[in-house]
Parts: sequence; C-alpha cells; structure tokens
Amino acid sequence: MLAYALRRLLAALATLAGVLTIVFLLLAMAPGDPAALAARSGGARPAAPEAIAAYRRLHGLDQSLPVRYLSWYARALRFDLGRSFQDGREVRARLAEVLPATLLLNGCALAAALLIAVPAGVAAARRPGGRFDRGSGALFDVLFSAPSFVLGLLLLLVFSGWLGWTPFFSGPELGFRGIVLPVATMGLGALAFLSRFVRTCVRQALEDPAALAGRARGEGETAAVFRALRRSAGAFSAFAAILVPSLIAGSVLVERLFAWPGAGRLLADGVFARDVPVVLGTTLASGLAVVASSTAADLFSAWLDPRLGESRSGGAREGGDAG
Amino acid sequence: MRRLPGAAFSAAAGLLAIVLVSLLAPLVARSRPWVENARGETVLAAPVPWDPDAVDLDERLRRPSLVHWLGTDELGRDVLSRLLHGARVSVGAGAVASGVALVVGSLLGALAGLSGGRTDRMVLFGIEVIQALPALVLVAAAAAFLPPSFLLAAFLIGLTGWTDSARIVRAEARRLREAPFVSAARAAGAGGGRLLFRHVLPHALPPALATAPYVLGAAVLTESGLSFLGLGTPPPSASWGRSLADGRDLVLTAPWCVIPPAVALVLLILAARRLGDAVTATGRSRMTSS
Repeated sequence: MLAYALRRLLAALATLAGVLTIVFLLLAMAPGDPAALAARSGGARPAAPEAIAAYRRLHGLDQSLPVRYLSWYARALRFDLGRSFQDGREVRARLAEVLPATLLLNGCALAAALLIAVPAGVAAARRPGGRFDRGSGALFDVLFSAPSFVLGLLLLLVFSGWLGWTPFFSGPELGFRGIVLPVATMGLGALAFLSRFVRTCVRQALEDPAALAGRARGEGETAAVFRALRRSAGAFSAFAAILVPSLIAGSVLVERLFAWPGAGRLLADGVFARDVPVVLGTTLASGLAVVASSTAADLFSAWLDPRLGESRSGGAREGGDAG
Repeated sequence: MRRLPGAAFSAAAGLLAIVLVSLLAPLVARSRPWVENARGETVLAAPVPWDPDAVDLDERLRRPSLVHWLGTDELGRDVLSRLLHGARVSVGAGAVASGVALVVGSLLGALAGLSGGRTDRMVLFGIEVIQALPALVLVAAAAAFLPPSFLLAAFLIGLTGWTDSARIVRAEARRLREAPFVSAARAAGAGGGRLLFRHVLPHALPPALATAPYVLGAAVLTESGLSFLGLGTPPPSASWGRSLADGRDLVLTAPWCVIPPAVALVLLILAARRLGDAVTATGRSRMTSS
C-alpha cells in the first residue's frame, strides 16, 4: 500500500510537471509583446520605450526562452505566479481571494446534486425499465446534454424573469437568494452525471451473487441497497474525480453568467484582458485541482480495496475510465 | 445493412437535419431573392428573407411575428436567420475538431500500441497531462493569446479531445501487435509505417470511430462555451454561444432571442450523444452475439 501510494504520488508529480510545461508553452506562444501590452495597461497611447524596457526587466522578459522556462518553473514550484498585468497585484493573492467563492459554489452544488442523485439513482435501479427509470433517464439525458450556461440562462429566465423570485445578479453576500441560481445551475449538470452513475452501480450490485446471498439470508431490499452503495464507494470516488474537470469548466461559464466573484471569473476576465500571469495561474490551479483529486481518488480506492494497490499498473485508473 | 434501433434512427435523423440546416443556411436565409425578373424586382424571395448580419436599428427587439418569425435581437437582426447561420459555426467547429481529435488520437494511439516501450509511455504521459487540464480552460487560455479565428479555435478544441480515441486505438493496437497476420507482415519485411497504416490501423480504427459522435458532442460543447466567453469565432458571424452570451442582458426583456439558440444547442449535443450511445451499444451487442 505504501509503495503504491508513493508510486502514485510520483506519477502525480510527473503529470504536474507536464502541466507546468504546457502552461509555459501557452505563455511562449503568446504573440506580440506582452511587455508592450502590459506597460500600456489600459492607456490608449503606446507606452514609451523606456517603460517597456523597464517592464521587461521587472518581469524577466528580457531573457532567453530556456532561461525564462527554468526561472518560471522554479517560481511556479514555490507557487509564485507573478503579478497581474491589470493591477500589479500578486496572482497568488488574487487566487486566494476568489477561491473560497468558487469552492462554496461547487461544494453547495455537489451536496445538492448528491442529495437528489442518490435517491433518484437508487429508485431507478430498483425497477430497471420502470416508469421512474425511463422518465428520469430521459430528463437527465437532456440535462446532461445542456451546456451549463444554457441551463443557467433558462433558470434566470424562469426564476428571475417570469417569477421574479431571485435577483438578476448573484453573489455570496446576497445570502440564499443570491446563491441559489448558480448553485442550481452547477448542481443540475452534476446531478445528471451522478444519478446515472448511482443507477449503474446499484443495479450491478443488486444483480451480484452477494445480493442473492443476502436475500437468501432474509435481508430486506433496503439492506441490499445500502450494501450496494457501500460497495461502490471506490468506483464512486474515481467517478467524482472524473467530475472535477467538468466542474471547473462549468465554474468558468456559470461564474461569468451570474457575475459570481470566483476563480472561474478571474480566468475569464484574465483571458479578456490578455493578462498572461492571471491566465497561466488559474490554468495551473485548475490542473493542480484535477491531478490532486484523481490522485486522492486512486489512493482512496486502494485504501478501500488493497488488491488495487498490488497490481502494478494501478487498477483504479482503469476502473475509473470505464465509469 | 444492419438495422438501427429506433432511438439511434431518430438521433441520426436529428443530427442529419442540423447538418443539412448548416449546409443550406446561406441559401435559405438571405436577403437576395431566389428569382428576380429583368427589372430587379423580386419574383421569389428566400424563405427567410433576412441576412444574419443585417442591422436594422428601427426594428430592434421585435416580438416574433409573420415578418420576423422568431423576432429580432438588440440590433434588429433576424433571430431565425442568425439561428440558421449559427448552425454553421457549431456543426463546422464540431466536425473540424472531432476530425482533428480522431486523426491525432488514432495515429498516436496506434503508434503507442504498436511500438510499446518508451513511445508508449510517452504517449500515455501526454494523455495524462492533457486530461489534467479541463478542455475549456486550456482552449480559452490558448485562445486568449491567439488571434480570434474559427479554424484556429476548432483546431485547438480538437487538440484537447484526442485522448479517448488514443486510449481506445492504443488498446486495440496492443492486441493486434501479436496477431498472426501482423507477425506475418513483419516477417515478410514490412516496415513500421506499412505495419501501422496497412495492417494495424484498419482494424484498430472502427472502435474509435464508434466514439466519434461523443467526440463531436464534446467539441460542440466546448465551442459553445468558448463562444459564450466571447472567444473563438469573431463577430459579427452568428454563433449560438455568442447569441446566448448577448442574451444574458435580454433574458428578461426579449426571451425570444435566447430560447431558440439554447434549444438548438441542447438538441445538437443530445442527438450526438444519443447516436454515440446507440452505436456503442450496437457494437457491443454485435461483439457478444457473434
């Protein structure tokens, strides 16, 4: 188990190194002169050559590409992501400022989705092909296919426009009314994903010989369902890790739609302002989140089922892909 | 030909209809009439006689009517015409991106599976790294530094979407590497390229092609998000994601600007995914029954 954990952590670090390289390639790909762009910083006139040169020295842009790569790498390892072109503040500080709002949004959305997805998935799995199974399946199919910002726009239309229950703009400071629409938007996307998965897991477990043995011992259906849920915990964690990239993409869009002050909006605003350090910092943070969650999921699965840790290739990863 | 189940048929028909719309949009929705007489008078107008970019500030935010079937937007442009032309962006980007993804994925996957060893590890590592970054984030970050262009955005989306087909083709190629006919070809002196293109790829490709509808759906999803963020295809060309981004401020006053592109986008992605479900299910049942 320990050897497996070490190997898995090492692989995660290697992946992170790859992510860092890709992010740097993005930076190097940027055409034009970021220094000229930044030194101008919103002004209409092009900046003076001295200002550009000074800026270049300040941000180390006067060095060659390999040197910049190494120094950028070294700084990124210390999570020193440079300063925003827009306001000169540290990207690290700006990220720390907006991350709580994003975590709040995603946490609430996931909790709400789980509260609905587990009972719905279990109910669908108990009677495969039944009315509830078909109805919820069709509904979730549509939800699953709708881009998050489309769901959000339709929710805005209904609840802010026609019913007038919720404000048009959202933010954590507005309390429940300010948070409910963005959370519902993110939650509906995750709900479709999760409930399909719960249904598959529970159905498989109910058809398992263990379920038959349980019934032979006189166990009720509720006990069988709970066992099924418990048994799929490993697969569930792998699945939750798969959900992370789509949650991040969803955050970018939903936060922009609702003007939610989170990390997704920081990225979108940075993209618009061509703010290289902010874009790279947020990209890096999203890569970090994905790698961390998939590593955590693998370690959790291996802890639940030690057999996974013994296989050399890491069985949890393969299992996760199948889900 | 094998009969497709009903769900697959309706999904395929829906997808085909949207593709047809995107192909025919310049013919159906244009202000230039279909038939003119010698004096330049209209004999037969196009069914939707509005250009998608024709601004008419006197006709702003009109409700749906017989003149503008789906109403007009904040610049007086015909919503229906923009909807039809917008299909070109979504379908075109989806097609280009999934094409790029399938080509890159199958080549890298086949190469990795066939050669094994270090090449295999490198490709697998590349897949891990690409998958560690959400497609939308990666494409948006790249698009931020590049000139806005339809083709570029579609290519970038394709370059983030090749990982699944690479995995599938790699698994097939690994299986085929030891197959008798591949060994025979190798013994007969076939080189790496010939083995790859003549012997392995033709067999490894079908399972990857079966996932093409999924890849298409994912690409359309990413493109719409990119357009929604204001990146990708530059204005004024009509695109569903951009219409929806503009629609944020209109959702209270003019919902007719928002609902058509929203429904169209969901239908396109739904049709692609349903078709993917059906094709993979058919493939699975065929494999188990034979």
